[in-house]
Amino acid sequence: MTASVLRGGTQTTVQAVPRTGLRHLGIPASGPADGLSMALANRLVGNAAVAPALEITLYGPRLRVDADVCIAVTGAPAAVRLNGEPVPMHASLGLRPGDVLDIGAMATGARCYLAVEGGVSGASEFGSTSTYLPASFGGLEGRALREGDRIDFTAPGTATSGARTPPDRRPAIPAKPALRCCDGPDAGLLDGTERDRLYGGRWRVSQRADRMGLELAGERLAVGSTGRMSSAPVFPGSLQCPESGSPYLLCVDAQTTGGYPQLLQVARCDRHLIGQLRPGGALRFLSRTAEQAALELREKLDFFRDWVPDIDDAL
Amino acid sequence: MSGAAWPPGAAPCGDDQLRVPVADAAQAQALASTLRTSGGWLDVVPGLECVVVRYDTAVIDPPVALARLQSLLEDLSLPAVPDAGRVEIPVRYGGDAGPDLAILCRRLGIPKSELIRRHTGATFRVAMHGFTPGFAYLEGLPDTLQVPRLAAPRQTVAAGSVAIAGQWCGLYALNGPGGWPLIGHTPFELFARGQPDPFPLKPGTMVVFRDIDGVVPS
Repeated sequence: MTASVLRGGTQTTVQAVPRTGLRHLGIPASGPADGLSMALANRLVGNAAVAPALEITLYGPRLRVDADVCIAVTGAPAAVRLNGEPVPMHASLGLRPGDVLDIGAMATGARCYLAVEGGVSGASEFGSTSTYLPASFGGLEGRALREGDRIDFTAPGTATSGARTPPDRRPAIPAKPALRCCDGPDAGLLDGTERDRLYGGRWRVSQRADRMGLELAGERLAVGSTGRMSSAPVFPGSLQCPESGSPYLLCVDAQTTGGYPQLLQVARCDRHLIGQLRPGGALRFLSRTAEQAALELREKLDFFRDWVPDIDDAL
Repeated sequence: MSGAAWPPGAAPCGDDQLRVPVADAAQAQALASTLRTSGGWLDVVPGLECVVVRYDTAVIDPPVALARLQSLLEDLSLPAVPDAGRVEIPVRYGGDAGPDLAILCRRLGIPKSELIRRHTGATFRVAMHGFTPGFAYLEGLPDTLQVPRLAAPRQTVAAGSVAIAGQWCGLYALNGPGGWPLIGHTPFELFARGQPDPFPLKPGTMVVFRDIDGVVPS
């Protein structure tokens, strides 16, 4: 069972379970930038929450399938067409041999997810088929899909068309998200004014935005740092601020260590929203204690667990 | 942190990480390998002067994780870091290979030849892996070569770039962004993708640099 790629889209990659326990070797997590949306797509076709699926960025691919297969698309609202006719997101769709699926531009947000029953095939490296573009490993030859590629599906599953995400379990993809955060290890370098600027400011994503990280503009922070800090571990969700004052918010392909001051960490409950930030998009940061953020994570997991039993693997 | 009493105090860092300050990179490596065998952590990552552990906030309350880590720290003894061989790394200094070399020479008030002499004259030791696969942090940079990071990182640094920042020398294994001033470039393969052992350099490996364009002493 395969799909022929008629158009790759802006950046379409195979993503699956994040890599865990390898950061001391410089190997990042990777996996879906918005794990919640990917879990919801996989749920509709009967897959595990982190089964390999396609992550689609800003403008999607055009694919022709050669077999009967069940698929679902979730995440940022996109124009999805089957043989030219609009079809809904958050619904499992039965495709027939020769059918052409076209995913166009996204109205808000940055990424949607295409899950295929049984999962998408990809090369497993360091324990996952997740694509890590900077080192060209995982997924399809470690790169994004392009015209002429063929994607294999692992095995036919038992999914049927007609499954729908319950309306109240379809997360809004906010155009201006407010991300809940805890202080980072170097938050003490900010004085009161700069701290207010960080948490009260209206930030905007610059054009430098990818799966490693997003440069933020709109404010400049005066950070009392000499540029000689010793490198320390960083993670997806860390906000690092070089002396230029324009911070970087790290995403799922985040480097494993960094030497710029770490001012905050996006809490685990909202880390998946970083994957929906697009160049030019706005965002705010909300301050939380670790204990508050832990409770809010559990609330979110509990809310989705009755629909996606293994949601803990994806958030 | 040098000379600080053991056990060091761990501190929360975000809602699913804890950070332990340590004296140096060797102690960070030793502490990280020990904590990795203790189980229960999703990631145990050494830095140059700290170790960060990540835990599963969905099932462990942050104060419980902190207490567990603190009690582990009180009981453990650190293993010695094993010897990991010696490697000579050839470097082409300056020009397109090291676009920041000329600026650094002006800043330090020395000619290119002197910067190269100091860099090739030192013996380095791999302090840790980090950043991206294959990137190596080397300690042993002479005091006379210490410069700050770039105020704003470059969007593209070539794989094989040799950089210095603070008291460290860094080797970039992949094309990608980077914030360290670049002095040269090496053909040495830092990340052997697909090999059973993809990392030729290990924490503890001794490293010396050789100037590719230099005159070989007779």
